[in-house]
Amino acid sequence: MEGGGAAPGAMEGGEPMSKSALKKLEKAKKAAEEKRVKEEKKKAEAAAAPKKAKAAQHAEDDEDMDPTQYRSNRLRALGELKEKSRNPYPHKFQTSISIPEYVVKFGEIKDGEHLEGQDQSVAGRVMSKRASGGKLMFYDLHADGVKIQVIAQSNYSDLSEEEFSRMHASIKRGDIVGINGFPGKSKKGELSIFVKSIELLSYCLHMLPKTHARGGKDQEDSKVPEHWHPGLARNLERYPLKDQETRYRQRYLDLMLNSDIRNVFKTRSQVIRYVRRFLDEREFIEVETPMMNMIAGGAAAKPFKTHHNDLNMDLFMRIAPELYLKELIVGGMDRVYEIGKQFRNEGIDLTHNPEFTTCEFYWAYADYQDLMKVTEEMLSGMVKEITGSYKILYHSNGLDQPPIEIDFTPPFKRIDMIKGLEEYSGGKIKLPADLELLDSPEVNKYLVETCEKFDVKCPPPQTTTRLLDKLVGHFVEEQCVNPTFITHHPQLMSPLAKWHRSVPGLTERFELFMNKHEVCNAYTELNDPVVQRERFADQVKDREKGDDEAMAIDEGFCTALEYGLPPTAGWGMGIDRLTMLLTDSQNIKEVLLFPAMKPHEDVIEPPVRAADDVAS
Amino acid sequence: MLARVGFVARLPGFRRCERSLLSSLRCNATNSVPQTSEKPESKSVRNPRVSEGGRRKKGADLDSTSSREDIRAVRLKKVEELRAGGFEPYGYTWDRTHFAVELQKKYVDLPSATEANEEKDHVAVAGRIIARRVFGKLAFLTMRDDSGDIQLYCEKAKMMDEPFDLLKTSLDIGDFVGVKGTMKRTDKGELSVMVGEISILTKSLIPLPDKWHGLTDVEKRYRQRYVDMIMNPDVATVFRNRAKITSEIRRHMESLGYLEIETPVLQGEAGGADARPFVTHHNALAQDMYLRIATELHLKRMVVGGFERVFEIGRIFRNEGISTRHNPEFTSIELYQAYADYHDMMNLAEELVERCALAVNGSTSITYQETEISLQRPWKRATMHSLVQEVTGIDFASFGDDIEAAKDAAMGFFEGHLERHDTGTIMKSPSIGHLVNEIFEMVVEKTLIQPTFVMDHPVEISPLAKPHRSKPGLVERFELFVYGREMANAFSELTDPIEQRARFEAQVQTHNATMAAAAEYAKAKGDTALASAANDAYEVGMDEDFITALEYGMPPTAGMGIGIDRLVMLLTDSASIRDVIAFPVLKHQ
Repeated sequence: MEGGGAAPGAMEGGEPMSKSALKKLEKAKKAAEEKRVKEEKKKAEAAAAPKKAKAAQHAEDDEDMDPTQYRSNRLRALGELKEKSRNPYPHKFQTSISIPEYVVKFGEIKDGEHLEGQDQSVAGRVMSKRASGGKLMFYDLHADGVKIQVIAQSNYSDLSEEEFSRMHASIKRGDIVGINGFPGKSKKGELSIFVKSIELLSYCLHMLPKTHARGGKDQEDSKVPEHWHPGLARNLERYPLKDQETRYRQRYLDLMLNSDIRNVFKTRSQVIRYVRRFLDEREFIEVETPMMNMIAGGAAAKPFKTHHNDLNMDLFMRIAPELYLKELIVGGMDRVYEIGKQFRNEGIDLTHNPEFTTCEFYWAYADYQDLMKVTEEMLSGMVKEITGSYKILYHSNGLDQPPIEIDFTPPFKRIDMIKGLEEYSGGKIKLPADLELLDSPEVNKYLVETCEKFDVKCPPPQTTTRLLDKLVGHFVEEQCVNPTFITHHPQLMSPLAKWHRSVPGLTERFELFMNKHEVCNAYTELNDPVVQRERFADQVKDREKGDDEAMAIDEGFCTALEYGLPPTAGWGMGIDRLTMLLTDSQNIKEVLLFPAMKPHEDVIEPPVRAADDVAS
Repeated sequence: MLARVGFVARLPGFRRCERSLLSSLRCNATNSVPQTSEKPESKSVRNPRVSEGGRRKKGADLDSTSSREDIRAVRLKKVEELRAGGFEPYGYTWDRTHFAVELQKKYVDLPSATEANEEKDHVAVAGRIIARRVFGKLAFLTMRDDSGDIQLYCEKAKMMDEPFDLLKTSLDIGDFVGVKGTMKRTDKGELSVMVGEISILTKSLIPLPDKWHGLTDVEKRYRQRYVDMIMNPDVATVFRNRAKITSEIRRHMESLGYLEIETPVLQGEAGGADARPFVTHHNALAQDMYLRIATELHLKRMVVGGFERVFEIGRIFRNEGISTRHNPEFTSIELYQAYADYHDMMNLAEELVERCALAVNGSTSITYQETEISLQRPWKRATMHSLVQEVTGIDFASFGDDIEAAKDAAMGFFEGHLERHDTGTIMKSPSIGHLVNEIFEMVVEKTLIQPTFVMDHPVEISPLAKPHRSKPGLVERFELFVYGREMANAFSELTDPIEQRARFEAQVQTHNATMAAAAEYAKAKGDTALASAANDAYEVGMDEDFITALEYGMPPTAGMGIGIDRLVMLLTDSASIRDVIAFPVLKHQ
């Protein structure tokens, strides 16, 4: 939707967080960074320290090895295997059961019980390894976010003792293994698989960061659970892998080591699935509209530009699918939606990524009142289904403050924008009773003065649209912690929304705010082509005043309107921001598998050629 | 168009649309009643164009009734008049009780010349007027909605005077109306809504075209897709079926425990395929970025991260020419499954395509461009080498590394059979693997009409696939061909980081050599050719981060990519990719 707010990109200048929250976050970041430096120093010292009697042990001491040395050792072992014409990367390992299924199926057996004869084949990643003498090994095997114990005893194995210890010496933490064996529980009651044979399926050439570095200040904080699930608060401080750069650039490590992360991305997937199912049930048709356009329309934002060589034609990446979707309604598809990426060539911060995901839907013969009902139904239903409750916990004030509760119980609160501005400024802001006068120079002057009076920053150009937006941000959006509709935006702020049927100067529009952030943007669609052209012309004027976020005119779209767009309601939502709320994420990068990052140098270990390595 | 008849027949609501549209157009041409409303009103009316801010020259030919601008001006005037009369010509909402097709079904047993007007027969419908016949006190309108068409029976005696007059003076073909009324089947057997109340919900300003040159003016169909859709409801049927196909794929993948994820479109390095990428620039990062040409490398990272079954349905971008099979942006599904191999993927491909065919056509026997195709499992499985040998009689595996001997044999075949083939690509092939692939594309591909898995490709053309477990020089890979087109590509994934690096390096080398050869060739041809070659050149990068991910260990994994657009083409009997993409990329007008 226009304003795109639904999506990161709406708030401009990246001031969505309060200053104090930002400060806290910076502080937390600094602390984390100091900790990381300290840890690295420790590691370096450990590596530099004289190697302890190595030969005696095999498993644990790897942890103290210098990472480069570790990698070249493993490469050497790989090379030796290949020389012997043994394939170190088998083509197939047939599992008989997944680990989660294994846990369900055998979780109830008695402590100390062994189910010999009920052999199973499982596979996964070794996340810890412990030896008890030369004939007994324990591993933690992780797969699909679940863990079982692996017990390898030389007397269950077909291998000779020597072969047994050589085999197990070759398996390192991080390796992918396939195991055939029988289920059982240790005397302590830990569900295990007793190994009959074990096969190395893929090597981890790098030393995995240690996982036992648990801790964190607020462990006593009862609101942060050991095992996170959506709707609860998360505690990043407690993660074994804390370094943000590594977590975001090498997401696979984040997923391997920080058990919550997998669940965060599953939650993201659940959000999208819920939206899709909700709309499918209401007989909306999912469509795909172009991501590359001649004109970037439907919102106000800086687009990415690219070039098609063969056609010798510049193209822009879409900033919103709105105009195309409305053209499909003109074409006779009465209910359409699209879930997909939008692109905005803007700065990167806590709530903005250059590409982000939105859902937009268009519904012929409905209006914004219908949309508010549907929004309440969709979001409250989704939160209930995914989290089990209407209420979620969210660290709204930084990780060092207790999380707040956000309540999705319908109906959501509604605040009329202009009345709200007057009310929440304590009556100190007064706008003309005739709201058609909003675009007069007098009102503009008054708003400039008002912003100064309340110390609300509005960098130039100080158009009435921008001034109002800042004031609403300051006075009204601050009220919107629980889901709240801000309704009835002035026409000049909403070039694609239909004028209000009874209040001149306003539109039939709403934005839904949660935790003071815009998540949805919706309106009764403007379908009068003459008025649409006038609104576009006003936008062009704002552009000429220097507001490069004002919209460009799309003649093709205006022509489509002239063929007739039925009364239609349109709605947009930012998937990333909603997911942030449900996963207690303060940074949009937490909910993007591969967030955009600054170009980096040497953050990831510089790859070393295999041959050089083996030689070293 | 022949093939489309099948669709129309299955959609009761649209059955008569072609005819009614035509009849309405005939009406326009012969009946003076609707015609007058389209004409610039008589001279006694203020010339509406004057109030249009002099947008048009005065003295324009008023007699040209077909002039779009004139009609537009007349309709704009109607908008003003409606507003002056207290009607808003752009309504806000309409509470619809039924779609056209729902009524057709509900009243299927209503006999001709019968009315149904009890309490339960009060209905409200809405849609676009696509045909209009007005007689003194009677008017017949055909209204089209999302589901199909229904007739509106307007009898002055049954309506208030005002709406009937409004209908006569202000309603045009193309307008949206909301209607309340009861049900009636006419003497001629046409199910109709007996109109009690009619509101103009949206006034259209541009008349629908008299003739829709759907077959001849192809460009216009794509440029103004909405007109195409209004004039020919089959167009939207394709998009509905497209939605069904992606939905069916999603449902099946989820039932198998796959997780759908989103990987980035904007990337620092365009990897996972060999294609010219689009380049863009991120201002804040002051960095050039590429639009993805595949989702492969990022999805595999997630398998490393422990998601054992992942997929992504998403847009892919390739900076290449447009054709009936190529659009610069297209949609693919890529899926990856740990502990599976390419045999598992063949089974999955059969399963997915079969399910989609059933969802759309209700059958695994389909007709594509008048060719019968059976999607019944199992499909033919054959190696690339054996297929090439079948056609050429040459066993390319027998040449070992002797590329020259292989080329001689290939040339022998072509000289003997097909002289017109461009032999240049054969002579330029840098390896036997490339050569076999070249010959496959030249002579085998087009023969693969029924679904065929082409297996075990040469390693040289498959940088991301695992070496074959028993055939040296080959990889565990397949491509699925139907109607001579590649529909899917899959492999047992290469998981060895050291070999992956070597493969990438070889790929970069081959690519650079090809680019250099092209430049060399162009140089000899002159400046324009050189400039064009430079324009065509692009770099293949190496995704170091991906290799690092492999070094952390990826389990044995199989992966597959399926082109959704081509699958939709096949299952909806669409000849061009532009028929299955709502807004295809087009040349400058």
